[in-house]
Order: sequence, then structure tokens, then C-alpha cells
Amino acid sequence: MSTPDPFDSALDLLRRLNPKHTTSHLSNIISLAPDLAEELLSSVDQPLTVQRCKQTGRDYLLCDYNRDGDSYRSPWSNQFDPPLDEAGSGGVSSGGNNEGAGEGAVPGERVRKMEIKANEAFDVYRELYYEGGVSSVYFWNLDDGFAGVVLLKKGSPQGDATTSGVWDSIHVFEASERGRTSNYRLTSTVILTLATKGASLGEVDLSGNMTRQVEQDLPVESDESHIANIGRLVEDMELKMRNLLQEVYFGKAKDVVGDLRSIGSLSQGQKDRETQRELIGSMRR
Amino acid sequence: MSSNIEIVCSFVEGAPPGELADVIADIKALTVSEPDLVKELTPAFQKYNEEQFITAKLPGGSSQVIVSEFSSLGDGRYFDSESQSSFDFDHSTGKASGVQSYVLEGEQASLVKSTLSSVGTYVKEHYPNAISGVYPIENDTKVAVVIVANKYSPNNFWNGRWRSLYVFDPSSNSLEGSIKVDVHYYEDGNVRLLTDKKVNVSVSGGRAADGIAREISTAEKKYQEDLNRSFTQLSEGAFKALRRQLPVTRQKIEWDKVASYRLGQDIGGVASRR
Repeated sequence: MSTPDPFDSALDLLRRLNPKHTTSHLSNIISLAPDLAEELLSSVDQPLTVQRCKQTGRDYLLCDYNRDGDSYRSPWSNQFDPPLDEAGSGGVSSGGNNEGAGEGAVPGERVRKMEIKANEAFDVYRELYYEGGVSSVYFWNLDDGFAGVVLLKKGSPQGDATTSGVWDSIHVFEASERGRTSNYRLTSTVILTLATKGASLGEVDLSGNMTRQVEQDLPVESDESHIANIGRLVEDMELKMRNLLQEVYFGKAKDVVGDLRSIGSLSQGQKDRETQRELIGSMRR
Repeated sequence: MSSNIEIVCSFVEGAPPGELADVIADIKALTVSEPDLVKELTPAFQKYNEEQFITAKLPGGSSQVIVSEFSSLGDGRYFDSESQSSFDFDHSTGKASGVQSYVLEGEQASLVKSTLSSVGTYVKEHYPNAISGVYPIENDTKVAVVIVANKYSPNNFWNGRWRSLYVFDPSSNSLEGSIKVDVHYYEDGNVRLLTDKKVNVSVSGGRAADGIAREISTAEKKYQEDLNRSFTQLSEGAFKALRRQLPVTRQKIEWDKVASYRLGQDIGGVASRR
């Protein structure tokens, strides 16, 4: 029997352990298998952290794609916090840690212009769909186009002692430019945590994440079309995923509980089915 | 910083229903440089098996028995009141062996026997596939009732477990316990439902065994109804409040005009306050 690939095993383990604690499971796996650190940190989605931009006072979201060493780039000011020193700008932090080196690099002039427009567009999107929360979009250059990540985070208001919820959306895309069309490959993850408690209910925790992918060729007339194309792709994907989450979190979970235990009496249900069968049988005769 | 053995034990403890073998396979692949680590996991397996009310088939018989702290005789041996037998349980393989006769005697023996029957009847009425057990505990002063229902559907990427535990104190007629539901769904994702509900009721009137089954039946029916209602409330409440299905305008965004939405955003805001 061949030995399973440790990276695949790490992902399998993360797919099984309680998704509410993915961040601590991930750091535990990395301390067991330090060689996997870089690959895991760049491929496992974790709940997003919010930071305030010192230049603009606006909140933005942190992820591996706007990170350079220990610094993060604000999409609003394009500045890193803490500022990168000359030696660190290559993606190597003072501790010599070069995980994700170059990921945090600032995009080229054209791509940064699109990034600014995308941040404005998804700020509108965020307000219309989330009515609150924080959004951030980061772009970076590719050889045949560009790539980016659209991040959205919303938590339920503090102060509700019985019910809480957090939604994190992470949409990573690559756009390959082929003349008048562009090929978009989108991978979307939503991390959704819900919890409620009460005297008669006890504690209920519904946590998890789901990932979906889509690929599409779309016409491009200008850089503005890229923003519109990515906007539609993300909007359609989020609608699809919201429906999916609703189905799994509330429909599937309830069905499985119903498969484990029946509220009604099983023998009565059996009798009712037999009576019905006899009735149908007698009508046929 | 946790030690490697602590980390690995926490993975075992967190294994979803029916997925312990998968978790162990992953652990092995991640610790190939420390092959002895898995051998140190026996205490973690024992804790998992006893807490999760893992069931096993007795060799030569068809009946399922439950492994729990309440049926432990020490040194990896457990007993089953229904079949009046004791057995060795291998916590690593999950196999029972070395069956011997184990006749319950003492103060609670007759209550255990009658409760096995009354709870058994209830369980048959409401669980398509569950195992129940009743055990004298705490020096034969109290009786523990355990119900465990598993449904595994790995081909459809979901598994579930319902666990109930109640302790009946004949001196006060109190019935205390908890109901725990654990559902795992993992197709292109990882979604987990974990619940914990404390039960604290008093058993009165008639035969204690009938009262115990009646109170369990009432508590579990009410709990399942409350839980079902909480799914609806979370869906209609917290979930909706996090993200709308469509903007207030009930229309998708016109992305070609999104730059002009700076004004539109204000319109959206007005609409939402209407």
C-alpha cells in the first residue's frame, strides 16, 4: 500500500474536524508537520481578520494575498502596515520568514487602477447585500492577465446574548486575457458560523465552510468590463452558495436528526402506511 | 505549545461520528516520522469510545452492546445488562471478545431489568436504529440509562449521532442527564451541527421504570421539536441578517453602472429604511 500524501491527509483531517476551530487545527497540524506550513497556509481558508487603515481610517480585511512578511497592505491607501523597510520589500520579514514571499507585492499600475475600481464596486455590493460588514479586494499581476481575491465579512451585531453568527466570503479568481475575451476561473469559499442557546433549547452550534468553483469565458471591451464580469461571477456564485448553505445548514441537518430519531411513533407510522397500502389495493380491485 | 501527543489526542477526541478510522489514517500519514505516536493513543481511544457510547457486536451473538464509563469493569472489560454478559473491548480495533456470564445482583438489579424493558419499548417506537443500555452505578445507588443512535452515510458525505444519558436517583426520584446531537456533512466542505441539552426532571407516580421511560420520552420529543424550531429561527433570523438573498430593490446589481451607484447606494439605503 502506498503512503498517502501528507498534504492530502492534512486537508482530509481539516475536512473532518470541527470547522469552528479550523485555525487552531491548522496550527496544530503545522506543528506536527512543519514542512507543510507554506502550502497549507496558502490553501486553507480561515476566518478573516479586520484591521483599520491608518491612512484612511477605513476597515480592511487581512489574508495571505495582501500580506508581505508580517505586514498587510490596505486596499484603500495601498500602504503596508507596519510599513515595509527596504530590506523587507522582497517579502522576507525581519525574522527571515519568507512564507508567501511576493504575495504581498503591490500590483502594477494598470492592475492597481482596476483594483481601486473593484474595491469601490464591491463596497457598493457589500452595502446592498450585507448592509454592513467589511469588504476588500486585492489584485495581482499574472503573466497572461491578472488574479485577485474578493473578501467579504459580516458578523451579527454584538449584544445579542442568545444568537450569534459570522459570515466570511473568500473569492479567488484568475483572469487570463485572450484578446476580446477573458477566461475567468473562480474558487469561492464561504465560512459560516451560527450559534444559539436558550434555557429550553440548550446549546446549538452550526458551523462550517463550503467551497465551489466555476470557470467562464466572457467578452472584454475595456478594463471596466473586467470589474463587471468579476462582479457578476461573484454575485451569481454567492447567490448559489447562499442557497446551498441554507439547504445544508437548516435542511440537511434537520433531516439527519429526523433520520436518527422520529418525533412520531414508528409503529403508528408503519400502521398508517399499511392502511394506506390496503386502501390503494382495495381501490384497484 | 502543545506536545505532539496532546495534539494527536485532540484530533481523536474531535473525530466526527463514524469517522475515527479516517482521522487515525490522517494522523498516521502526518506522523510517519514518529510511528510510535499512534501506539500511545490507546487512552485517547478509550476516552473517545466511552464518551461517544461506541457500540460493538458480541462474538457469537447478534445483539449490540454499548461501551461507556457506566458499563466499565476496568482493565478494558465492560458488561451488558441485557445479555447478562461481560466482555473485553479492544479500544484500537473496536472489537469485543472474551464473553463471560455476568449476572446483575444487588439493590438496583430489578430496577435495571424493568427499565431495560420500558426504555427499550420507547426506543423501538422512536429510533429506527438505536441501542439502549441501563446500568447500576455509584456503588449500586443509582441507575444510568444510555441511548445511542448512529446513522452513517459516507457515500453521501454525512454521518450523524444522537446520544442521551440519564442518571436516575431512586432516593430523590430525580432524573438528570443530557442529550447531544452531532451531525457532520462534508461534501465540498465541512459543516458540523453540535448540540448539548441538559435534562433535569423528577419521576413521580407508579412504577419507577415506567416513569423513567415516560419522562425520557417527553423530554426527547420536546427537545427534537425545540431543535427543529431553532433551525427555522436561525434561518429566518441570524442567517438572513448576515446576508440578504437579493438587495432591497429585489434586483441584481447592474455592474455596468456600478460606478454611478455611489448615488445608488444612498437610494438603496433609503429603500432599506422604508
